[in-house]
Amino acid sequence: MKRILWLILTMGIHFGISAQSGMITGRVVDDSGETLPGVNILKVGTATGTITDLDGNFTIEGKVGDELQFSFIGFQSQTLRVGSNLTLNVTLQSDISSLSEVVVVGYGTATKKELTGAVAQVQGEDVAKMNMPRLDQALQGKISGVNITTNSGAPGGTSNIRIRGLGTFGNNNPLILVDGVIFDAAGLNSLNPNDIETINVLKDGTAGIYGVRAANGVIIIETKKGSLNSKASLEFSAYYGVQETARKLNLLNAREYAILKNEAFAAGGMAPPFNNVNLGTGTDWQNEVFETAPIQEYNLTVTGGSEKTSYSIGGSYFGQQGIVGGPKSNFERYNARINFVTELAPKVKLTSVFLYTHEQASGIAQGGIGSVLFNTINAYPTEPVFVGDRFSYLENVADIINPLAQIENTFNETSVNKIVGKEEISYQINEHFSLNGRAGYNFALVDGKSFSPLAWFGPGKFANSARNANLDPVLVDVGGTLIERGASVFENRDSFLDYNLESFLNYDRRFQDIHRVKGTLGVSYFGNRNLGLNGTAFNIPNNDLAFADISASQAPGGFLNQTGSFQTRQRLVSAFIRGEYELKGKYMFSAILRRDGSTNFGPNNRIGYFPSLSAGWVLSDEDFFGNSSVVDFLKLRASFGVSGNDQIGLFRYRGQMNGLARYPFNDFIINGAAIGATSNPDLKWETTLQTNIGLDFTLWRSIDFTANYFIKDTRDLLFQPAVSALLGSYGPGGSPPVINAGNVSNKGLELEIGYGTQKATGVNFRIDYNATFIRNRVTKVPDGLDFIPGAGFSVGGNIATRFQEGFPIGYFIGFQTDGIFQSQEEIASSPVVQEGARPGDLRFVDANGDGVINFSDDSDRTFIGSPIPDFIMGLNLAMDFKGFDISANVYAAIGQEIIRNYERQQPFANQLAYNVNRWTGPGTTNEIPRLTTGQTRNTVFSDFYVEDGSFVRLRNVQLGYTLPEAITGRIGIRSMRFYVAANNLITLTRYMGFDPDVGSGNPLFAGVDNGIFPQARVIMGGLNFRF
Amino acid sequence: MKKIYIIILTLSMSLVSCDQWLEIEPEYTQDAENFFNTEEDFQRAVIGVYDLMQTNYLQIWIGEIASDNSIAGGESVNDTQGLHEIDNMTHGGVNNELRDVMRFNYAGIARANFIFENENKIDFASKERLMAEISFIRAYFYFTLVNYFGDVPLIVDRRISINEVFQSDRTPKIQIFEQIESDLDRAIQVLNWTNPELGRITKGAALALKGKVLLYQQKFSEAAQVFDELISTNQANYALISDMNTMWLAVNQNRSEDVFTIQHSGLQGGDYGCLVCLQGNPAVGFHSIRNYVGPFYADGNSYNLPTQDLYDFFGNDPRRQVTILDLDAFIATQPNPTDISYAVGGGGHTGYYNNKYIKRADERGLPDDDLTSQLNYRAIRFADVLLMAAESFAQSGNDARARTELNKVRQRAGVGDITSSGAQLLEDIYRERRLELSGEGYRFWDLVRTGKAAEAISGFQVGKHELFPIPQVEIDLSGGRWAQNPGY
Repeated sequence: MKRILWLILTMGIHFGISAQSGMITGRVVDDSGETLPGVNILKVGTATGTITDLDGNFTIEGKVGDELQFSFIGFQSQTLRVGSNLTLNVTLQSDISSLSEVVVVGYGTATKKELTGAVAQVQGEDVAKMNMPRLDQALQGKISGVNITTNSGAPGGTSNIRIRGLGTFGNNNPLILVDGVIFDAAGLNSLNPNDIETINVLKDGTAGIYGVRAANGVIIIETKKGSLNSKASLEFSAYYGVQETARKLNLLNAREYAILKNEAFAAGGMAPPFNNVNLGTGTDWQNEVFETAPIQEYNLTVTGGSEKTSYSIGGSYFGQQGIVGGPKSNFERYNARINFVTELAPKVKLTSVFLYTHEQASGIAQGGIGSVLFNTINAYPTEPVFVGDRFSYLENVADIINPLAQIENTFNETSVNKIVGKEEISYQINEHFSLNGRAGYNFALVDGKSFSPLAWFGPGKFANSARNANLDPVLVDVGGTLIERGASVFENRDSFLDYNLESFLNYDRRFQDIHRVKGTLGVSYFGNRNLGLNGTAFNIPNNDLAFADISASQAPGGFLNQTGSFQTRQRLVSAFIRGEYELKGKYMFSAILRRDGSTNFGPNNRIGYFPSLSAGWVLSDEDFFGNSSVVDFLKLRASFGVSGNDQIGLFRYRGQMNGLARYPFNDFIINGAAIGATSNPDLKWETTLQTNIGLDFTLWRSIDFTANYFIKDTRDLLFQPAVSALLGSYGPGGSPPVINAGNVSNKGLELEIGYGTQKATGVNFRIDYNATFIRNRVTKVPDGLDFIPGAGFSVGGNIATRFQEGFPIGYFIGFQTDGIFQSQEEIASSPVVQEGARPGDLRFVDANGDGVINFSDDSDRTFIGSPIPDFIMGLNLAMDFKGFDISANVYAAIGQEIIRNYERQQPFANQLAYNVNRWTGPGTTNEIPRLTTGQTRNTVFSDFYVEDGSFVRLRNVQLGYTLPEAITGRIGIRSMRFYVAANNLITLTRYMGFDPDVGSGNPLFAGVDNGIFPQARVIMGGLNFRF
Repeated sequence: MKKIYIIILTLSMSLVSCDQWLEIEPEYTQDAENFFNTEEDFQRAVIGVYDLMQTNYLQIWIGEIASDNSIAGGESVNDTQGLHEIDNMTHGGVNNELRDVMRFNYAGIARANFIFENENKIDFASKERLMAEISFIRAYFYFTLVNYFGDVPLIVDRRISINEVFQSDRTPKIQIFEQIESDLDRAIQVLNWTNPELGRITKGAALALKGKVLLYQQKFSEAAQVFDELISTNQANYALISDMNTMWLAVNQNRSEDVFTIQHSGLQGGDYGCLVCLQGNPAVGFHSIRNYVGPFYADGNSYNLPTQDLYDFFGNDPRRQVTILDLDAFIATQPNPTDISYAVGGGGHTGYYNNKYIKRADERGLPDDDLTSQLNYRAIRFADVLLMAAESFAQSGNDARARTELNKVRQRAGVGDITSSGAQLLEDIYRERRLELSGEGYRFWDLVRTGKAAEAISGFQVGKHELFPIPQVEIDLSGGRWAQNPGY
């Protein structure tokens, strides 16, 4: 970090100040005695100054009595009077508070002291240290206001990044820029966390410098760069870990299963299926399916620089297998990176970034019915895994198949080749102006193939692709002729290209020592081009993976084979201007205006203007504040800004002939053309207005505190409201026009507190804590639309989540329960009529008070939970002493609910063990309803299926030891560290499912647990060497 | 400093020139504002108009269930609740099925109007014929709307904007009928009696619908004239299919008796959430026997179940078994009756099923045979033409001709000739319509237009139930400017 800063400073000062040959010389070292290059030295009251060289030495013209000010980022400034011997050896005290850290804020940088907006930064090393496959996973709990939820713990599984709550039911992903190049959230898989220098998050209205893309916040990632004039330094790091599931569900064993099923069948008026219930434990399907699986990573980085050129070159391999599916659920990543900065000519610098990634991934079916884990949970324990030499059929449940047979028959492979790069030229025009021009690209080529062999999972199984156990192909009637449909292969080749051209002029000038004016003026062009081609071919010879390619298809006449393609384009043309003014270093003002033109909108609303204003006031620099020995620093910040979201679909403003039009003539279906969505030429972006008030202070030079309160209102959400039949929008494939209506509000409080200490005894300690409280509400949906339905409960069940005015996005709606009916008398005497209720049934609450539980409409369904936590928090601890280091990362999400949606309501499906405590007679329980195969309302969506999803998780804990340099130096190793670590070692939760961290890309499906692939518990050992 | 100005200027200039990069068009798809450039464009758009006729499952259901012919049935009384309310004459402004009738027919009209709007854009050989076909179809949609709802906003020859909805009033029925007749006249003039492309609208269909439209308006002599032209000219060689026991099988589709038939295919799927998207006839699977395991028929959703009243009405008429499946009787005649099983739905059970539009084991559609059936809907078949002709002649004083047409239908059924005349003849014709056409979705309209609904349908209120209510949501979405139909 120091070296980078030195570089920046050098670049900044080089042009304005030329070192004089002089008489005052000296050396600057830090408190540990190490020399400090790049320290800024200014003769007080003049414009004369210099910086220290690589060895910390400096020379400056001066005389006795001159005052020299020594300043360096990360250290406390010192002012010294030149004594008689004209030699000054200076020791700078490190400044543990983070005020002087440089944060990237979009087309520029600022120190934390200068910031007027809500911006957070995480260092790359803190991310890499987590040993998480993906960068966003490592960010969980690191930054206040940023909520990371997990879609799947499978290798290559994705997460969701939500900055300051959910603003829309559509795309809530932040804008992610890697060295200025757009990355989509899914594409983060390709990034090696070890390649990252810093992650900067713009959370408030000041993100408006990115205008129509900034409504969900902006994440700016900088990759590692080398430093000038530094010897090549080589780092090698590696770890190897073993993963296992952190939890298995508590399911019925064979004996319990038999007893409970007998009871349920008898209650349903059917013959009990088991004559003998003493069946022992039976098959534990989870034991059969879960396995331990390896995870490993190897990294090599070389950095260094000559006088005019610096470089950072890296290579890495990451490999992870799944705790379900093993090699069938696999993710591997190879990275190569060359970052290169050079001086092309005096004052002209070239920054070149090149990242290459190769990914190789395969996966098993996940999420809901048909997935491996859903089958595992619901497969019954009385069935063995094998019958003879074949997999068992689980014949009693039509849509549950043997999960091991399923894994066996899963074949897919995706490979991604991705190159990301940037070429940037910076030209320092004069001491005040600099010009930057850059071109970036992010190109990914994705090749996928999946093979569906002829498979037979048992009679009547929906997953069968064969006609019978002999794997005879299904016969399909094509124009009266029967043809065989054999094994098939699906192949796709998609390419995704994001590119950008940007150019901006920066201005920075001080006037009379007290005024500082900064300005940025720039233009930007972002483009996106995605292309895809895919095909499915049937009748692969011999039902054999070896022939799984479209070229091997033996399908007659091409009747079965299918092809498809897609192509999309988006463009964004922008200009931006930012003015900043700082008075006496304690009053800061900043104003931003961005103009965006987005191709996602029609000519009526193509161009948008996005302003933001912000200000900061360093109270601690005021005279009235005095010289507090406690409060070293105190700053107030306020910002207001407007930003937009244009990620609301392509060409939604215009009517296209993409409706359905089909009719048979001569008994052949003829395809025609009709209007799809009715056009709305006035369609525009979703608009977010955000106000932020922040407070930063530092106590005793060691405690940093930041608080932000924000109000974020998102307006003009996209809706397709009901429209009059007269418009003709309700034909097949037709839909009403998309309009801008509807509002969402997020209000929240973010707190960050950090404490660090360095003791002379050699004990260093750092603790950081952050907490975020967010209140999310839908404040308006358009007329004619009561709500947007979200996720369904159970198979073919009611809609369980909604987007509705007055409620959080994706809240759960269902029946509230009030215990169990204990007897017929209780039902009879109940003031509320609950049709079909029997003793042992859930007693529902009559929400509308009409004396009847209405199952046929929504009048008694009510709010029974929300997937949005009341607050989230993160705790990071680090300590080192004499070569030993220990660190821990804890994350907690409190107050959210989860829908338990992985229980298959089928007579023979296995059940969770809580059913052992079911109602069996008056007084047995008031919580768990009776079991029956008969008609019951106990299976409709109610709060019985909603659980508290709060959890606290020890995400990473690490113990390391660095060998003394005295020993390692002898073998030429500068630093040698070994460590053991564990991820997800402990999770405290009352939730019954595999993993309470249940996310979804679609906010209306958040918190619905369809049997999520859990995040593994990993025990690993690793090493970091520096040469 | 000059250098700086140049840079600023260049940056600003590049922005201005960049705005043109935003002019991109969707690729490989046609745009609604730039369509109708070729004959093929017109042909494809016309397919889109035909498509909406496939919502006829609603006609089969509502036309029967509202009448004394059948009950709603289904899994429970909440299964397609709108049909149960119509069954009980308790329907009101909130009714999904009635809303669908309004939405689908106007969707079809809007698709036709979109083509009429562009009618003069280019000229090509088949244009007149295509425009005549969609004239017919638009007339059919409006005829459906006017029967259901009475006065409805008349929109022709162009699309309307969302704001125009708030200025659209309900047009008096008489004007709608004028539009329907003029559209049908255009079809009659242009279309040929036959079209080599099976399923296209023909002159015969247009004449038949014109006659029906006149009959429904009680313009009997005009109707008689039109039916006479159809029956006498008959260049399409329409004739009754001799074997009425097999005429409803898929193999006997598009035969001599088909005058106006809506085509379906059993080869394309869909889902329960979008019945309008199907190419198959969903009524068929829905009509079939719940959880049926046995020969000849196949399992379905037990909708639209014939009543005991209808069963008894047939007496010994051989058309009873053509029209109604008496399931238990059928099972008893099978080789191993105890192996045959079925379930009774919670939405009602009569023991009878619609035997015309029913899923048979060898006529299953793909991929979901509950939704997809190849059975066409015979919207107007020749027997109906003959009976409507008979009625028109009887009403306009030509009893002899009326008996001739009536007895053609009776002869095919193998029942004796009618010899009555005057009011009795008219009664006999009405009776004949029920015997011949039950299960096909006309009964409710026959009862309403002949003033017999109140005596046949329990709960039917004269002055109210002749029309269905305008869906309340449509009134709201019109800005509340439409008055509800009387009594609702």
